Amino acid sequence: MNDILLDVSGLSKHFGGILALNQVSFSLKKGSVTSLIGPNGAGKTTFINVVTGIHAPDSGEIHYQGEDLVGMEAHLVASKGIGRTFQLVELFGSLSVLENTMVGCHTNSRASMLSCGFALPAARKEERRIRDEAMASLMLVGLEKRAFDPISKLPLGERKLVGVARALSMKPKFLMLDEPVGGLAAHEIKNLVELIHQLVSKGLTILVVEHNMPFIMFLSEKVIVLNEGAKIAEGAPQEVRTNEKVIKAYLGEEV
Amino acid sequence: MNGTSGQKFLWLILITVIIAIPFVAGSYVVSVMSFVAIFGGLALGMGLLLEQAGMFSLAHPTWFGLGGYVSGILAVRGIAPPWLGTIFGAVFVGIISYLIGAPLLRLKGYYLACATFGLLLIVEITMGQLGTLTGGNEGLMGIPSFSVGPFVLETDVHYYYLSWVLCLGCLWFLHNLMDSRMGRAIKSFNDSEVAAKSMGINVPWYKLKVFILTAVMASMIGSVYTFYLRFMEPSILGFPLLVELVTMVIIGGGKTFYGPLLGSFVVMWLRELIHLSLGGFLPRMSAQVDALFFGIIIIVILIFMPGGLSGWMDRLLYLGRRTFGKAGE
Repeated sequence: MNDILLDVSGLSKHFGGILALNQVSFSLKKGSVTSLIGPNGAGKTTFINVVTGIHAPDSGEIHYQGEDLVGMEAHLVASKGIGRTFQLVELFGSLSVLENTMVGCHTNSRASMLSCGFALPAARKEERRIRDEAMASLMLVGLEKRAFDPISKLPLGERKLVGVARALSMKPKFLMLDEPVGGLAAHEIKNLVELIHQLVSKGLTILVVEHNMPFIMFLSEKVIVLNEGAKIAEGAPQEVRTNEKVIKAYLGEEV
Repeated sequence: MNGTSGQKFLWLILITVIIAIPFVAGSYVVSVMSFVAIFGGLALGMGLLLEQAGMFSLAHPTWFGLGGYVSGILAVRGIAPPWLGTIFGAVFVGIISYLIGAPLLRLKGYYLACATFGLLLIVEITMGQLGTLTGGNEGLMGIPSFSVGPFVLETDVHYYYLSWVLCLGCLWFLHNLMDSRMGRAIKSFNDSEVAAKSMGINVPWYKLKVFILTAVMASMIGSVYTFYLRFMEPSILGFPLLVELVTMVIIGGGKTFYGPLLGSFVVMWLRELIHLSLGGFLPRMSAQVDALFFGIIIIVILIFMPGGLSGWMDRLLYLGRRTFGKAGE
């Protein structure tokens, strides 16, 4: 029981007439890598949005380290150590690469609006610490040379890595990556796999939403398959790959 | 960035020039520059709201006027001396902006603009109707000079320095703020609210804090303005001031912390220039001529330098750095 980090049961969410999540239940072990896959519109991103408090679920329970996350506001969920990246990157266009990453340090810094405005010593000291931590996150993804560039100068692959660095600056215990390798070059994918293994060995729990099958097969201990909002398979990568329901969901039924 | 030593140098030059102006220039320049400081300081907060936080609040003249009215009335009635009245005004505006901001800031974009514009009109009319308290539409008369204990500010030069101390104080505060975790948070929710929330930023609460902060700044500037003119009337906190502030933000550029102050400088001196050159043969049309000129300038700026003057300068700096070596690290 104690080695379970996240436990969801009966999670449902609908948008208008569309059931984006239908009674989804599973749990994630601490320090594991799990992949969440499924065809387009299967509810993968909705799942991340519901867990992080962006959307409230219609029904179901989300237990994270024994705490109920349902109804908790997104910024409070983030402060519990749940980090994420976005499929459409969602970087802050008016900030540089380093500043984007520094925003990730928000949950572990304290300086108030007044102490920042009056540049009190404590705020300045904290600012230096944030800068160092963000730089360290950028080094993890290999983007330290890009630190002072505006986001608009980066290709899509590097933007996704900035998203990862920004999430790592949160010092998360649980990290959700939403399609992290789309747009990445082959060597960048290899580096990302290495980074993920390294993070997991330090005790981080990771959930990856992805389409890139070789990446998933190589990376994950467990694969969960969603189709039309419902979980249709869960298991080791090899088992899932030969599961008939999964093949049908991806390839369609024979007529 | 290697900006810190360069920035200190720029601050030093700015402060030196501001201190020196009354010694070398005549009373005309001093009085125009006082208004550059007052409206520039006001525009700084407006630019922060509009362009950095993405909050389309149009109630800025309201906070300016309320601050002026509260401190002015307290001084006229002998309840509080001007310096204390300024603080009371700021507290009062802080509380009112909290009470109004908490429900209004749930609105976004044009809806927030409509609601805050409504607030602006309501407060302007109310000030005109509260005859005995505010002096009604004739205005509040008999306001004493600004004073702290035995020190009374009497000449234009005194108010020039007071205005600039307040304006540069606001500029310095915003400079620090926008370069801190709070400033990054403010810019982040304008760029992507979903991502900002996911980074642990309490977006509605921060919006409210920025709203109150800029309102309090506007209120203190409004108090200084009131004691400088020793007069306050409802039309001061109405639509014309709003247009003027938006003009300053657009011309100076609100994406940088200093842009609106630059905008204020340009707007104030351009107006003087227009009046000096055209005032002779169009004496009755000055307001209309102003509007025509600034309309044209805004269109030109929006087409050719959408970031305003300061955005254009920042871009030149960036290109220069890239072309002439790597000073950026």
